Amino acid sequence: MNKTARPSLADGYSVAGLLRAVLEKGRPCRYEARGSSMHPSIQDGDVVTLRPLAAEGPRQGDVVAFVPPGTESVRLHRVIGIDGGRYLMKGDNGLAADGLVERRDILGAVARIERHGRVLRRGPAFAAAILARLSRTPWFTRLSRRLRRTIGRRDRKA
Amino acid sequence: MTDKIDLAKAYRPSEEVVVREIEGETVIVPLTSGVGDLEDELLTLNETGRAVWARLDGSRPLAEIIRDLEAAYDAPDGVIREDVIGLLQELCDRRMIVAGE
Repeated sequence: MNKTARPSLADGYSVAGLLRAVLEKGRPCRYEARGSSMHPSIQDGDVVTLRPLAAEGPRQGDVVAFVPPGTESVRLHRVIGIDGGRYLMKGDNGLAADGLVERRDILGAVARIERHGRVLRRGPAFAAAILARLSRTPWFTRLSRRLRRTIGRRDRKA
Repeated sequence: MTDKIDLAKAYRPSEEVVVREIEGETVIVPLTSGVGDLEDELLTLNETGRAVWARLDGSRPLAEIIRDLEAAYDAPDGVIREDVIGLLQELCDRRMIVAGE
């Protein structure tokens, strides 16, 4: 029996089935997030813990893991709107929304984020709701990108 | 400390694991402390492990499974038995299998 390198987790392929299987048992699941679409909230290499969805489903502002229709990849994005039982998703750092996603394609909600071994402090729920509303405005992404550039410059100086 | 493996008992996967076949590998996620940890606790089985795992259905005594494997695989006397008991003891210690009713 081998402890293994994570199989094909880099692009999310294959991990969807494992995440779904664990979360459907009502258990949280911890895995490494990849990509920059949720920067700065979630950064490439952060370890996130997903919790199973509550019965009432995700709320606006929640960051959730979902499988975009027609793919086997896993995406971590924010719910920025709810329309007739479907969920509008968008990465905080993305230019455009992903479109509407069915509840069945949502695996779980982000409950905890670890960066470099430290658990990040989460903001209040209302802050996530505000972020979700802001995500519908084009200047939010510009602001987010400016913040990212600023952080990048600061990190390079350090 | 967990029980020693008993050849007369039948074993089956615990409810505390999630198992999936991925790209020809058997991948096991133990729900350590109630959390499925794909970051640190993902396990795969080698060929022997897969052959054993596939036979753990909770109905056949371990001795019968060992006889089955000895008939299916060519190995020096005692080697398969030793390997299987070693694997099951590790699985049992990790609470990934339980003895059937």
